Amino acid sequence: MQRYILSRLIQSVFILFGVLLIVFFMLQLTGDPVSLMISRHATPEDVEALREELGFNRPVAVQFGSFIAGAVTGDFGKSLRHKQPAMDLILSRLPATIELAATALLLSLVLGIPLGLVAGSNPGSFWDLLSRGTGLLGQTIPNFWLALILVLVFSVHLGWFPTFGRDTWTVLGLTLPTRSVLLPAFSLSLFTMGQLVRFTRSAVMEIRSEDYVRTAYSKGIAHRKVYIRHILRNAAIPLISIVGVQFGYLLSGSIYIETIFSWPGLGNLLAESIGNRDFALVQAIAFFSSFVVVFLNLLTDIAYALADPRIRY
Amino acid sequence: MKKWLTRTLAGLVIMVVAGGGVFAEPRGTLRVALTSDPNSLDLCYGADRNASNAGWRLFNSLVVVNDDGLIEPALAEKWEVSEDGKVYTMYLRKGVKFHNGEDFTADSVVFSWNRGRGNDVTWRKKWDIVKAIDKIDEYTVRLHLEAPYPLLLRQVSYFWNIVPEGYLKEVGEDGFTKHPVGTGPFRFVEWKKGDRLVYEANPDYWEPGKPRVARVIFRPIPESATRMAAIKTGEMDIVSRLTAEEAAMLKNTPDVKVIEYPVDRVFYITFNNLTSGKGLPTENALVRQAMNWAVDMEAIIGALFNGHGRPVSGFFVPSNLGYDETVKPFGYDPKKARELLKQAGYADGFDIELAAPTGAYSQFEQVCEAIQGYLSEVGIRVKLTLMESGKYWDLEAKKELPPLFGDSWSCREGEPLERLEGTLGGWKQSYSSWFDPKIDEMLTKVAAMPDENQRAAIYRQLQAYMKDNPPFIYLYQPMTFEAVSTRVKNYRPRAAEDYYLKDVSIDQ
Repeated sequence: MQRYILSRLIQSVFILFGVLLIVFFMLQLTGDPVSLMISRHATPEDVEALREELGFNRPVAVQFGSFIAGAVTGDFGKSLRHKQPAMDLILSRLPATIELAATALLLSLVLGIPLGLVAGSNPGSFWDLLSRGTGLLGQTIPNFWLALILVLVFSVHLGWFPTFGRDTWTVLGLTLPTRSVLLPAFSLSLFTMGQLVRFTRSAVMEIRSEDYVRTAYSKGIAHRKVYIRHILRNAAIPLISIVGVQFGYLLSGSIYIETIFSWPGLGNLLAESIGNRDFALVQAIAFFSSFVVVFLNLLTDIAYALADPRIRY
Repeated sequence: MKKWLTRTLAGLVIMVVAGGGVFAEPRGTLRVALTSDPNSLDLCYGADRNASNAGWRLFNSLVVVNDDGLIEPALAEKWEVSEDGKVYTMYLRKGVKFHNGEDFTADSVVFSWNRGRGNDVTWRKKWDIVKAIDKIDEYTVRLHLEAPYPLLLRQVSYFWNIVPEGYLKEVGEDGFTKHPVGTGPFRFVEWKKGDRLVYEANPDYWEPGKPRVARVIFRPIPESATRMAAIKTGEMDIVSRLTAEEAAMLKNTPDVKVIEYPVDRVFYITFNNLTSGKGLPTENALVRQAMNWAVDMEAIIGALFNGHGRPVSGFFVPSNLGYDETVKPFGYDPKKARELLKQAGYADGFDIELAAPTGAYSQFEQVCEAIQGYLSEVGIRVKLTLMESGKYWDLEAKKELPPLFGDSWSCREGEPLERLEGTLGGWKQSYSSWFDPKIDEMLTKVAAMPDENQRAAIYRQLQAYMKDNPPFIYLYQPMTFEAVSTRVKNYRPRAAEDYYLKDVSIDQ
């Protein structure tokens, strides 16, 4: 087990190094950012001076070296637009994204898994039809389109939710979410929900016909017990990996959903920084998101190994 | 009789004193949508109109440009300009206090100027126009220039935010960024980045009776469909930069007023006689005229912008100083275009390359495709290259774009000097690709001419010259759409998409 964790750790480090490589050369591909940053009414000397100041006239290898050296310590330099360290900006936007991602994950779990369970136990029933429909729609409806429709129906016409923004509620120094998170979280949760419904349903259907379930029934164990002890426990195993991977994606922030709802999270910041070609910030967010995904994948693998004693390493 | 007179007089005095002293208390909360989160509230670093519109509400400059485009006193009560136009003596307003209680004096101006010329200040060039400042006494400063620069006060009004020396020394630059302090009509309350920016009325503001709202909340809403929804539901009072379709959809919404106005920005396709365009037919003025006649700008505006836009002539818009309405836009006349091409010796047309940036401007790619089509009708075969805008501006600054390329240039000074210099400055300017000694001569003259009327006269000559010798295919001036709640009074956005909020009031 320890060896397994160690080897996964080393793999993760290599992946992250690859990400840094891509993130750095992505900047080189788009040309010299200096001309984008300087005022239009600038003389060629001004452009040269700024290039010098920002170090863009150094050899690429030297630039890469100092980029890696900074990245290892979480220092991606200052945002060109905000004149603040890129990491600080990311951390300041993180709570909003965590709130949104966690709510979205919770919604998809609460709605997706029960639906999948019922459907898997009663194939061909109304619930099965509903679950298959939800699974299909959740994964095929473009969520930015759905978001706009939700705003029109629930905010503009019914007035149940604010149309945009994040309102919070502070109790005893704790920042708590309000209903403003529900529309964006629901739009964001749909894809994960669809996946959960489908996987839960097929896992339950598969496990129902396993030998050990038949054996349990033949031993005379009550249906309830068989269901909880054998079917649910085994169905939970593949769900761990879905939840882990999906949460990683949700946490890196959704550009569309956060932009449509003006949600002050990472996705919104990323969209803004790409639009303004704020390279330090784009690099930092790209790396940060990859880091979160790689880290959560690592945790998922470990959790998987712990949850399923049949897996041997 | 005497008693009656005294009583009446006393009554009058009381009324005058009371009336003068008791202005309506600022009240209500004004909620303004921004199209992006400001990068900074400090005008030294403000990256765009959202940042400067939010930032300027906290600060004052020495002077201010009023709604008629004229310069008015602000922190300077009056000023004198020396004969040679190189020395400005500014007499400062007394009794003005910063939001932290610090006094505004000549030292504040000197300190702000030194700070503005700091190395990492984005707009240091705007402070650097002034080469030295003398403090004459507590309330008088003298600004020294190297050469006369008639736009000085306009630049000062847009870029020089006066900051408190003591406060900055106490909290440092980082502290100032987190909690900026100025002399403006509103003072800073809180800023949750990407979420909301909150100001409250400055009770000690030096302009009597202003501001008239008690609180302003700016919220960044990058998506225009969401801005439209937010004004519909009444969550916002002012939203800007809507599309023409969204504005049309809001026209019948109760309690919402849609305003439409032309923006001081011109779109153009420029010719090149410095690098890639050398030796090409476009060096001939007749050819360049022909290319202007060949394009049906009205039709393009109609088809792509639902008619919301105006064709431009001569790089000037009607709100600019010296705009000459007798210089008409070219108009569409393909026959004349062919005629001119024939005269120039290109009856069979020629091949040329055109580049345009993608994703930078609304529908600009389609505009350039339409132009390609129109030019082909008079025999000019255009190869159009669309390029990611980052790469594009990089090449533009290096003068490595094809002999024809499209772009746009805005202007907030009320006269297009920077726009003209920036595009027509030849090798002196990064983004120019054209040089015409006659134009350059006129621009040099106008840049050193302090008198507005004489400047306007030169601008008029320039427009006539630039029609006969067009350095551009003149395109259009775009319209912008805003929606405002009918509760809001006295909100007047201007052609540069900026506004003051000190006069705005709100019905409860």
